[in-house]
Amino acid sequence: MRSVETEPPPPHPSPKNRRRSGVFIGGFILLQFLIPLTYLAREDTADDRFTWRSFSGPDEPVCETSASLETIDGRREELALKRLIHRDWVDYVGRNRRVVVEAFLQKQCEAEGVLEVELINRCGDDRGIREYRLRCGGERSHETVRTAAR
Amino acid sequence: MRPLTRYWFGDVALARPYLVLRFVLTMLAFDSWLNLMPHGAKYGVGGFNVAHFPVFGDFVPGSPFYLGVLAFTGVLALSQALYRPHRIALALVAIGYTVGWTCSLLDSVSYHYLMSLYLGCFVFFPMLSARAAFSRSDRAPRGSAWAYVLFCVTTAIVYFYVAAWGAADGEPYWLPMVCSGAYLVASMQDRSDSPATQIAMPFLGVAPVAFHVVTPMESWFPIYMIGIAVLVFTPTRSIHVAGRAVTAPARSWLQDQSEGGIDERASQVFYFSLVGLIAAPVVSMFVDLPGVKTGCALTAIAMLFVIGRQLYLTPKWRPLWRAASLFGGCLALWVTVATSTARFDYYRSGAIDADLRGDHDTAALMQEKAERYAR
Repeated sequence: MRSVETEPPPPHPSPKNRRRSGVFIGGFILLQFLIPLTYLAREDTADDRFTWRSFSGPDEPVCETSASLETIDGRREELALKRLIHRDWVDYVGRNRRVVVEAFLQKQCEAEGVLEVELINRCGDDRGIREYRLRCGGERSHETVRTAAR
Repeated sequence: MRPLTRYWFGDVALARPYLVLRFVLTMLAFDSWLNLMPHGAKYGVGGFNVAHFPVFGDFVPGSPFYLGVLAFTGVLALSQALYRPHRIALALVAIGYTVGWTCSLLDSVSYHYLMSLYLGCFVFFPMLSARAAFSRSDRAPRGSAWAYVLFCVTTAIVYFYVAAWGAADGEPYWLPMVCSGAYLVASMQDRSDSPATQIAMPFLGVAPVAFHVVTPMESWFPIYMIGIAVLVFTPTRSIHVAGRAVTAPARSWLQDQSEGGIDERASQVFYFSLVGLIAAPVVSMFVDLPGVKTGCALTAIAMLFVIGRQLYLTPKWRPLWRAASLFGGCLALWVTVATSTARFDYYRSGAIDADLRGDHDTAALMQEKAERYAR
């Protein structure tokens, strides 16, 4: 009679299964080695996702951010960031995370009659003052970096 | 067998994949509910979002979506830890969890990527019952588990990069490098009966424990990694004895019930399983968080998909235990949310943020709920 307490271990894989598994293992490991290396080619050095560079949150201080837009009729309006987006996004923008800055500028351009959007980060450290200006309809903002005034 | 083939397909003590899978899935469930759900209110605010990958396009995940995904992932993960896991269910957990964090940069916790890699390995783990991993024999059951070896190598790669970046930045790197080497050889320990290996392994295991104790890290990451290190580096005999003790109720009670011919397909089992699948998401109605009901209902549908085949192909009680494990998952979600500050934190942070943005109606509603759940 079969014991209710024992059960055989899973069988060893056949040569065909071993080959298939081997292909998966090779691909999985190759990706894991290559993905962190993409950091070396990243334009935005603050973006260290998937690299294992850090296991704690960002320690970079958040810069002082201001944003404004220019309408087609030439008016200039200040934007209250904290009323528009969640404060976590404001922190991302304040840390010059390029992909979030771009998305924010593009989002403001979606409004009716907006000609240009500008965002300025005053960092007060070696990151200086960074200005991002997007002409609505354009694909990417123009970034200007100035040394912080001491 | 060639050395490389032996490395990947050689025997490991089955106790290790059994316990590692259950440990990570259980942690993942409670981590999702206690550490991620409280931050759910910030999703969808202002209709603004940036995802980790362009595949999400202009999709803006709202709070109900995010909380629903967390409920789905957590409940399904815990149900798989409670009873014999199923590959389809594990694949759904891996997909759900990965969608949960990749849909927005609001979740940029670095170890969530590692958890996705682990879940990817789990899909190919041997789907072991307690009996298979901890049979009565004095000798720990062993078998080929290449996905477990891949799990160890994945961990080794993480430590390798920690060491490499540390070296590049001029920081000390020997400890993560030792961790990396330790995980590379860890999976081979069960193939050798040499006393030297059995003695050396626990010492190697001290390295990852020490690394996670001394290095500041986010959230529950050190708990995950210390727990994994204990399970991976404990000597074969000790892990087997500990596993037998932990799984004693499962082996003596649950497993005995599962005996029975697959041809005796009692209709009562089908109806009980169905009732269980319907009853489980009902528990989530008491959670009072947006999206959770939908998330739990989806777990029931996922489980129905898993059980559907099993009703005709497996021992007759197994579907019933699966329904019970899902019920256990939903119940655990409710108890966790009700006895922690997760729900209060969610509504309070939502109220504060809505107030900041000048949305005073939403702020008042959220504040009212926060006060209801204040402890």
